Amino acid sequence: MNEIIKTQKLCKTFSNGGVQQHVLRNIDLSIYEGDFTVIMGASGAGKSTLLYALSGMDKPSLGDVNFAGKNITKGTPDELALFRRKNCGFVFQQTYLVDSMSVLDNVLAAALLVEKSKKKAAAKAKEVLRSVDIEETLWNKFPTQISGGEAQRVGIARALINDPKLVFADEPTGALNSTTGKDVLDVLTKANENGQSIVMVTHDITSARRGNRILYVKDGEIAGECQLGKYVSGDKERHLKLRDFLGGMGW
Amino acid sequence: MTKEKLLAGSHFRKNKGSSIGIFLLMFLSSMLLSLAMILFTDTYPTAQNEAKRLNSGDGQLTFTSSTIDETNPDLQELFNSNTTSYDVAKALSFINTNVPFVNGEVILRLQVETLDTLSKKQMAKTEILDGDTSITSDYIYVPYQFKTSGGFSVGDDYSLTLLGNKYQFKIKGFLNTVYGGCNNGGVFEMVVSPETYADLLSKIGDTGESSIITYELKDDVKPSAFRIRTLNTLKTLDPSADVRLEPLTEVMSGRTFMSLIIAGSFLAVTMIVMIVIVLMIINSISNYIKENMKTIGALKAIGYTGKNIKVSLLLMFVSLAFFAAVLGVAGSYLIAGPIASVVIAQMGVPYTVSFSLISTIVAFTTVLLITVLFTLLSLRKINKIQPIVALREGTDSHNFKRNPVRLDKSFLGLNASLSMKTMLHNKRQNIITFFVTGFLVFLCVIALLMFENFNRKPNLNLLANEICDGMILFDKDTKTEGEAFLASLEGVSNIRRAYDDTLYVGEENSLWMEAYEDPNTKNNTDICYKGRLPQHDNEINISGHFGKNEGYKIGDEITLTLGENSYTYLITGFIQTTNNGGGECILTEAGYSHLVDTSEKIGIYYFDTEKDEQIDPALDACKAKFGDGVTSAANFIDVIEANMATFRGIATLMLIMVATISGLVILLVLYLLIRSLIFSKRKDYGIYKAIGYTSKSLILQTAGSFMPAIILSVVIYSIVSYFMANPYMELIMINFGLMKCTFSIPIPGVIIIGASMILLSFLFAVLQARRIKNVEPYKMLIAE
Repeated sequence: MNEIIKTQKLCKTFSNGGVQQHVLRNIDLSIYEGDFTVIMGASGAGKSTLLYALSGMDKPSLGDVNFAGKNITKGTPDELALFRRKNCGFVFQQTYLVDSMSVLDNVLAAALLVEKSKKKAAAKAKEVLRSVDIEETLWNKFPTQISGGEAQRVGIARALINDPKLVFADEPTGALNSTTGKDVLDVLTKANENGQSIVMVTHDITSARRGNRILYVKDGEIAGECQLGKYVSGDKERHLKLRDFLGGMGW
Repeated sequence: MTKEKLLAGSHFRKNKGSSIGIFLLMFLSSMLLSLAMILFTDTYPTAQNEAKRLNSGDGQLTFTSSTIDETNPDLQELFNSNTTSYDVAKALSFINTNVPFVNGEVILRLQVETLDTLSKKQMAKTEILDGDTSITSDYIYVPYQFKTSGGFSVGDDYSLTLLGNKYQFKIKGFLNTVYGGCNNGGVFEMVVSPETYADLLSKIGDTGESSIITYELKDDVKPSAFRIRTLNTLKTLDPSADVRLEPLTEVMSGRTFMSLIIAGSFLAVTMIVMIVIVLMIINSISNYIKENMKTIGALKAIGYTGKNIKVSLLLMFVSLAFFAAVLGVAGSYLIAGPIASVVIAQMGVPYTVSFSLISTIVAFTTVLLITVLFTLLSLRKINKIQPIVALREGTDSHNFKRNPVRLDKSFLGLNASLSMKTMLHNKRQNIITFFVTGFLVFLCVIALLMFENFNRKPNLNLLANEICDGMILFDKDTKTEGEAFLASLEGVSNIRRAYDDTLYVGEENSLWMEAYEDPNTKNNTDICYKGRLPQHDNEINISGHFGKNEGYKIGDEITLTLGENSYTYLITGFIQTTNNGGGECILTEAGYSHLVDTSEKIGIYYFDTEKDEQIDPALDACKAKFGDGVTSAANFIDVIEANMATFRGIATLMLIMVATISGLVILLVLYLLIRSLIFSKRKDYGIYKAIGYTSKSLILQTAGSFMPAIILSVVIYSIVSYFMANPYMELIMINFGLMKCTFSIPIPGVIIIGASMILLSFLFAVLQARRIKNVEPYKMLIAE
C-alpha cells in the first residue's frame, strides 16, 4: 500500500513555566492510503497532539512529517494552510462549524477554496451533504439550529468536500449519544469504503472497531499496533481481537 | 474589599491588551480636555487679565487738535460727569502709518512716546519686557506682539518712515500695552529715545502732541453712548481734530478673537473626540464583559455575588481612568506651551503656562465620571447573568435570524463574501466605526477649509473690505492731482476713490463707513452677501450682523449722523466683514456728501496693476512727486502677508492637530474593535485555518470587514462635510460679522482626506489583524 504520511523521530514538547512536558517521543510512523487508522490511548497520552502534528496543524518540536512526499514540518503557516486545503479534511469533537454561517455555507466556505466556480462548488456541496444524510431542509439552517449528530455530519461533509488525501477525525463521536454517534461512524465508514483514507483519534472502543488499523499511544510513544482488517458490522471476532489488544496495552 | 482588589488585578492581567487600549483612550481624552480647558480658561483670558492688571479702565480717547487740549472746560465737564476717573498722557500720533511687521507691513495708527511718559501713566500703564540696557541710542521699544507674532528679537534692526524721513532703530525691548499692542486694534504703541521724540515733535507741525485719555466710566453710563457724546463734543469744538475713541471691549475683541477661535475650535475638536472616546469606552466595557463571560460565570458559580464582580470591574476601570487622567493632565502641560504660543501670538501679551486648578479638576473629574457612569451602566446586566448561562458564554451568539451574503448566491469573491458576513455580524462595531470615521472626516474638512482659506489661498473676499494691488492715501490738497497722476502711471488701472469715517445711528450705535464713487467698481463685490450694493446717493449697505441685532431689514430706512448733519438712507443690501465687530456700512460718495464735505477729507485710492512688479514703482512715484501729500501708501500684497501671518500659523496648527488626533483616534478605535473581534472570533479563525484559509486571506477578510463602514462613512461624510462646513463656520464666525460663509473647500483636498482616511484605516486594520498570523490553528481551537 502507498504511504501517505511517514514520520521520523517525531517529538513534541510543551513548556510551561520552565517545566517541560514531552508529549510525543521519537515517533516513527506510516499512514497508508485507503486505511481507516484509529489512534487510541488514555487521556493525556498524546493522541490528539499526534493527530494535529501529522496534519500540519501543529508543529512538532523535533523530527519530520512527510505528507504525500512533502516535508510539512518546514512549511510556513500559510504554506501549510494551502497544503491542508487540498490534502486534509478535519472532523472535530466539537464539530467547529462557524456558527454565523448556514449549513450550506459552512461546506461552501471550504469548497470554494479549491473550486472557483460557485455553481460547481454549490452542486458538489449539495451532493456531499446528501451523501451524509443532511436533508435539503437543513441547508439554510445555522449549526445551532440542528442536532449535534447532524452538525457532526455537516462537519464530515465539509471535511470530504475537497476530496482530501486524508481525513483527520478527532473524537468525532465524543460529544454525541450512541445513536447519533453510530450515524456519524457509519458516514465515516462509508467514506472509507469509497476509498477515503481516514485517521481517527478516539478513546471509545465501539468507534475504534470501525478502523482496520489500530495504533495505541502511551506516554508519547506508539506502544502497539493491531490490524483488524475490513470492517464488517456485527463482527464479534473483530471486537474480541481489539479488546485483547487494548487489554494488552493496559487499557 | 481585598477580594475585589484581587479580582481587579486578575481582570487587568488577563486583559492587558484591551485594558491598555482603553487606558490610552482615557489618556488621550484627559490630555485633550485638560489642554482645551487650559487654552480656554487660562490662555484665552490672559489679555483681559493683563488689561485689568494694567488698570486700563473702560476705554481710551486719542485726539489731536491744534486748538484745544484736555484742559478745555467742555471736555473737563464731559469727563467729570461721565467717568469715575481718567488719566491723561501725551504722545505723538501718526495716522495711517506703514509699519513693518512680520514679512510685510501693516497700516495703522502709530503712537510714539518716551520712557518718561510711560513712568507717569496712572491708567493704561505700559510695561517694559525683555529690555536691553546696553542699547542707549536710536532705540525703539515695540509692542510685545512683534515678538509673539512677528518674530522680532531684542537687538534687531528696525526701520520706520515717519513724516517722510527714514529712521533706523535697534529694538531695545518690548512693550506690554493694552490699547496699542495688537495690529487688529489698529494702533501700535512704541517708545523712542527723547532725542528722536524731540526730532519728530519738531517736524510734526502745528498739531503737536496728541492727548491720550484713558477713562473709567460711571456705572450708569453706556460705553457706546459715551463714545458718541465724546466724538460729537470734540467735533463741535474742533471739526478738524483727529479723534479716535476705543472702548476696551472692542480692543479686547480685536485682540483676542483669533484666540477665541482657536480655543473654541480646540474645545469643539475635544468634544467630538470625547464623544468618540465615550462610545469606545462603552463598547470596550461591553466587550470586556462579553469576553469575560465565562470568568464571570465561574466566579458566580463559586459564590461571588454580582456586586463583588461589579465592584472589582469598576475598581479596574476607575484605576485605569485615574492613572490615565493623572498622566493625561500632566501630558497636557507638556504640549500646552507650543500650542498656547500660537493662541497668544495675536494677543501679544506675556504668557507662560501655569498650573490651572480648574482645568485639572474638569479634565480629571470628567474622565473619571464618564468612566464610572458608563461602567456602572454597562455592568448592570451582570446581576441578571445566571452562572450556567455565563459559563456557556451566553446565548447571544446563537441568535441568528438570517444568513446574509449566501456564498452560493453572492456575486462577490469568497474572501469579500466572508468579509461581508463578518461585517454584518458585527453591526455595532461597524456603526461605531461609521460614526467615528464620519466625525473625523468632518473635523478634517473643517481643518482643510481653514488651511485653504487662511493659509494656502487666503479668502480675502471674506476677510478684507476691498481687494487691490496697491493702496494710497492723498491728503485733501493733493488728492485731485494725485489721482490724475496715479492714473497716468504705467500698468495702473481700475482706480477706486474711497473715504472712510465713523457714522452714528441714534445715540448709542456707530458704524464704520466706507464710501466709494461707485461701490460696484469694487473688486470685492462679494462683500454684499444679500441684496445689492448702493448705486444712488440715498442708498446704503449695512453689516448683516448689525442689521440682525438692531432689527433692520433690506428696504428699511436708517438715519445716520455725523456732527451736525443727519441723512436717511434706504438699505439695499447687507454686507459682511470680520472688522469693526461687524458694525460697518457702505455708501456712495454722493451719499456720504450728505453728511460731510468730501473735499475736506483724505482720499483713499485703491488700484490694480497689470503685474505685481508695477505696484511698488507706482507707490514710489507718487511719494516722490507729492512727498507729505501722500499720507500713506501700501503694497496690498505685503499688507495681506503681514496681516495673514498669524492666521497662517493657526490654520497650519489646526490642520496638523486635527490630522494627528484623527490618526490617533482611528488607530485606537480600530485597535480596540479589531482586537475584540479577533478575540470573539478566535474559534472561527481556528476553523478557517484548519480547513485551509491562509493568514493573509483571514487578515484581509478581517480588515476588509471594516472597510464598507469606513468607505461609506467617508463618502457620506465627505459630501455632508462639503456642504455643511460653511454653515458650521457661520455658527462660529457670525459673532465676528460673517453672516454667510462662502469659504472655498477644494474638492481634491476632500478626496485626499477621504482616501487617506480609507488607506490609513485599512493599513491600521491590516496591522492590527496581523496578530492572526502568529496564532496556529491548533492553538486557536484548543483555546476554546
